[in-house]
Amino acid sequence: MAVRPSTPAPGDGLPGPSETGFIAIRDAVKSFGAVRALDGVSLGFAPGQIRCLAGENGCGKSTLIKVLSGVLRPDAGRITIDGVPYQRLRPLQAIRLGIQVIYQDFALFPNLSVAENLALPGLIEARRFQLRPAALRPAAEAALARLGVRLDPERRVGELSVAHQQLVAIARALRQQARLLILDEPTTALTHHEVQSLFATLRDLRCQGVSVLLVTHKTREVLAIADAITVMRNGRIVAQGSGADFDADALASALTGSEVGRTLPAPAPIPAPAAEPRLETGGLCSGAAVRDASLRLAPGEILGLAGLLGAGRTALASALFGLRRIDSGEVRIDGAPVAIEAPGDAIQAGLAYVPEDRLSEGLFLPRSIEHNLAVASLSARRPRRATLDRRGMRRLADDAVAAFGIRTPSVLPPVHTLSGGNQQKVLLARWLATDARVLILNRPTAGVDIGAREDIHARMRRLAAGGLSVLLISDELPELVALAHRVAVMHRGRIAGELAGDAVTEAALAAWLDRLA
Amino acid sequence: MLGPARLVTMMKSKTLHAPLLALLCGLFPAGCRKAPAPPSETTPAQRRFTIATVVKLDGIAWFNRMQEGVRRFAGETGHDCFQLGPPRADAALQVQLIEDLISQGVDAICVVPFSVEALEPVLKKARRQGIVVVAHEASNLVSTDLIIEPFDNAAYGAHLMDHLARYMGETGEFAVFVGSLTSKSHNQWIDAALARQQAAHPQMKPVRDRIEEYDDQNTAYQKTLELLKAFPALKGIQGSASTTAAGAGLAVEERGLQHQVNVVGSGLVSQCRQYLESGSVKLISFWDPADAGYVMNRLAVRLLESRPVTEGDDLGVEGYRRLRRDPGRTNLFYGSAWVDVTTNNMAQYPF
Amino acid sequence: MKHCRHELVLAGAWLALAAGISLVNPAFLSLANLFDLLKAGVVTGILALAVLIVLVSGGIDISFTAIAAFAMYASCRVLVAAGSTDGAVAGMLLATAIGAGLGMVNALFIGALRLPTLIVTLGTAGLFRGCLLAFVGTGIINNLPAGLIRLSRWQLFRQTSAGGETIGLSAAVLALAAVAVGVAVLLQRTVTGRSIHALGGSAGAAERIGIRTVRLQCFIYTVVGALAGLAGILHAITMRNANPFDLVGAELTVIAAVVLGGADVFGGRGTVTGTLLGVFLLVTLNNSLILLGVPTYWQRVWIGAIILISVAVSARNRRAAASPREEAPAIGTPSQ
Repeated sequence: MAVRPSTPAPGDGLPGPSETGFIAIRDAVKSFGAVRALDGVSLGFAPGQIRCLAGENGCGKSTLIKVLSGVLRPDAGRITIDGVPYQRLRPLQAIRLGIQVIYQDFALFPNLSVAENLALPGLIEARRFQLRPAALRPAAEAALARLGVRLDPERRVGELSVAHQQLVAIARALRQQARLLILDEPTTALTHHEVQSLFATLRDLRCQGVSVLLVTHKTREVLAIADAITVMRNGRIVAQGSGADFDADALASALTGSEVGRTLPAPAPIPAPAAEPRLETGGLCSGAAVRDASLRLAPGEILGLAGLLGAGRTALASALFGLRRIDSGEVRIDGAPVAIEAPGDAIQAGLAYVPEDRLSEGLFLPRSIEHNLAVASLSARRPRRATLDRRGMRRLADDAVAAFGIRTPSVLPPVHTLSGGNQQKVLLARWLATDARVLILNRPTAGVDIGAREDIHARMRRLAAGGLSVLLISDELPELVALAHRVAVMHRGRIAGELAGDAVTEAALAAWLDRLA
Repeated sequence: MLGPARLVTMMKSKTLHAPLLALLCGLFPAGCRKAPAPPSETTPAQRRFTIATVVKLDGIAWFNRMQEGVRRFAGETGHDCFQLGPPRADAALQVQLIEDLISQGVDAICVVPFSVEALEPVLKKARRQGIVVVAHEASNLVSTDLIIEPFDNAAYGAHLMDHLARYMGETGEFAVFVGSLTSKSHNQWIDAALARQQAAHPQMKPVRDRIEEYDDQNTAYQKTLELLKAFPALKGIQGSASTTAAGAGLAVEERGLQHQVNVVGSGLVSQCRQYLESGSVKLISFWDPADAGYVMNRLAVRLLESRPVTEGDDLGVEGYRRLRRDPGRTNLFYGSAWVDVTTNNMAQYPF
Repeated sequence: MKHCRHELVLAGAWLALAAGISLVNPAFLSLANLFDLLKAGVVTGILALAVLIVLVSGGIDISFTAIAAFAMYASCRVLVAAGSTDGAVAGMLLATAIGAGLGMVNALFIGALRLPTLIVTLGTAGLFRGCLLAFVGTGIINNLPAGLIRLSRWQLFRQTSAGGETIGLSAAVLALAAVAVGVAVLLQRTVTGRSIHALGGSAGAAERIGIRTVRLQCFIYTVVGALAGLAGILHAITMRNANPFDLVGAELTVIAAVVLGGADVFGGRGTVTGTLLGVFLLVTLNNSLILLGVPTYWQRVWIGAIILISVAVSARNRRAAASPREEAPAIGTPSQ
């Protein structure tokens, strides 16, 4: 398909069609030190439109959101709202003018009820003093009804699922008369089904005249929902147009700036069935979340694990790695039964686990890259050595940085200075340094930009080809299709079935998951 | 022991911020040091000595009273006697004060140590330079020429028990308090008191083991309330820390039981006046720090003049008219200087 | 809802404890004893309610006992120096005001300079205490103004038995009741109170919805200081003297009582009812050792063990109550 997205030259002074609208930003420039995070960005928002802002990590998306919501002051440029120009907005002013951002953490209060979460901003703004909990209920029910959600307004937000929390955040924004609703990577923590229902909600809001800006790097989602698409790279808008102007290849090349086709290499052929599976579980039970889970994983095989949120996949992974108690059932590695009671046992048995939430569970954020890389090898593999081999640590870290292409000047800065993709590479490298034979990955590319994701995928394929067995938990169907030799579907703690070989397609997986939901 | 000892154990346990106070002290050195007393008449035949009395804490009622004794001695004898102490109960500050005195070259140091262990090295240094050291409330101090204690602990505890027995009419149940089970002097008093009760007052009966009140008046108050409920026939309480008499007296007064329950113990008039007046505390006992300050200085002069101190010496002050030497230690002497106070004589001790 | 359950557990624990103690010693159930327990909980209770506010806001204050001691001693000093003859109302107001002033010092460091609450209050605890002892005084004030002494003798339901024994409920309990109602209304029924919860739930989110967090923190630490000052003067009234060395050292017991009462040390959760139950549970334990006949050598062990067990149990309950998402199968999807 021929692609003709408009490519505005920055500073040409002529407002394109997308720069008009009830809210518009013109020629915005914002620098952090030597880095130009925004380099002359102009963008307008129309009511009743869903615009997707796509771009890789570091392209300036986040900065743009922060400027629009008044968190950051632009160095140059201005924001026009209802025809009134503003040099800068203050956060509360932006909210009052109808600009609302739903951040990835939702900015909700987990300890307060749904009703209070919905009502508090209005009460604060109105400088009210008294608060009668009972009086909040009807307003909360109305706000939720507008989104077509039924939830008990008295429930505490912390008890809700991620998807419901997101809806509460959206409902709160709407209660504050949001006219431009900005969602920052809203689908990261959602299952396939929840993404579909979020999109349905957003389409509904579009009909109510709300302007939606969806910030994401998932091309599939962009193509599925966008009325208009804006692609940013290096602080500039590099392409924009209507949703129909783009297809997957065009979007990918706009995102990465290369014309490389997006055809994924076919997964390596299923390795010849070995005499012994590398990992085998029989009738594994762990609490209520894992009930009689049995699976086999051959050497060099990538087994995908799909399922709805709450299906028990994370619990299964945690149980295999000794983070959850195994109540019954057995785990065999290369045919030999192993008793896993703590992560140390799992590491000794050749298992490695890269958890879902790398920030809270995986990485020691303030510690150096070197420390993060070396910690598993040093603490688990050589438990009898009391002192650290500093030179060995440094060598290990330098090697890993080189082998995984981790972008950092040295191994000494704290790991939180790295981008999401590079943090994920640190985790992978850490566990591979333990000479693991089975690698369990839990949503390894969540929140990772497309470039780093390709890199991680390629690396996984290479590792599998080298004989490593991989158990891949993922909600991203394209990822499962691209990587896995087989995909098992987990449901309510059991392995409900599996797809293998050519039967692994996005359509088949999506149909299965929808059936379960 | 009582009075300042109680304060000091309390402050020790609650001292969180010694460095801050050290800093404050550094900023306000005037607060740490009293100017030497003005010179007064000296008899030509007698050498005029400079004697410093170093106390635990400057400015509290107890040591203000001690200072009166030091001044009285200076006025009577013409020696240059002065008292100083840290603005805060802190061993390090006390050490520093003594270091300064050594470099000033005083003739003698009378000291009421905050911490015996902390002072040993600096006092050893002082003695090496020929300074005479006299200590008070420090029966285990090694680096000293002489220690003068107001009384023998066993005798003191037994005499309080005799008073309690008298108020209780020799019969009935009683309870005993200590500030802390680790407080050596309090437990010596109570050991002796219980021994005296068994020997001399057999009709009386202790209701339970000794009760701790952590040198805290509120705890003494709460524990006494509990005792009154647990043992409705209770007739007596003997306290050790100065907080017990006030706390127990408050409880007894609140319950209106001053005609049934007799409280005796260590204490200061200022703390217990209202309870002595209401009758909820019958008798308190202490020693007069003014006398202690006076005799410390007198003993220092004796040693400076190379006149030995021996058993039975009379220092010319009530309570120190017949010194007793400790059987185990030749330079440890006791007076019999406790003062018993009831409503009759409390006006004489306004501290 | 979970708060209710935790409070029921606490109330049940108190009843079980009361039943156990009264089996050993029926005197526990006497009116005199119950009055004594209530009175013993007044100062700790007010301090605990102050700490509750801070914990709910996601902060911590360990300077409150130093503030209480300072406010108590300084206000008594002023009253005595001014030759006040009554001093009941003046003393309470003065101590509360001094406490509020010291609380503002905390607020200044925490709110305006954005320093961590633990560090600030650890520092100011030393500062307040140092200033108290170095500049205000160290001697116990025994001659409190008559008004304060009168307050200390003021009892409700006063009755005298045939044997001359007097029992009554100290009127100081009224102060605790008033503070409890006030703090409950503040935390549950005002926007400020819910903002304090919000701040403790997520400070970043609070800022984003327009809560002026700096101003709110200033308010919180000032209120805590004022309550500490009130608790301080009530302590002096109870003891009929002002001892500058009193109160300090009690902070950990008070914080333990609040945590036992169900407040979350990481902020956002806690109720007045739970806190009061936590306080009375600890006060009952602490003030029943003689009734139970626990040997003196064992009392500290007993108290330490009980605090450890009860705080551990309530922390465990809370962790179990926090929903582990993956545990619950089939989380509902939004209905369309």
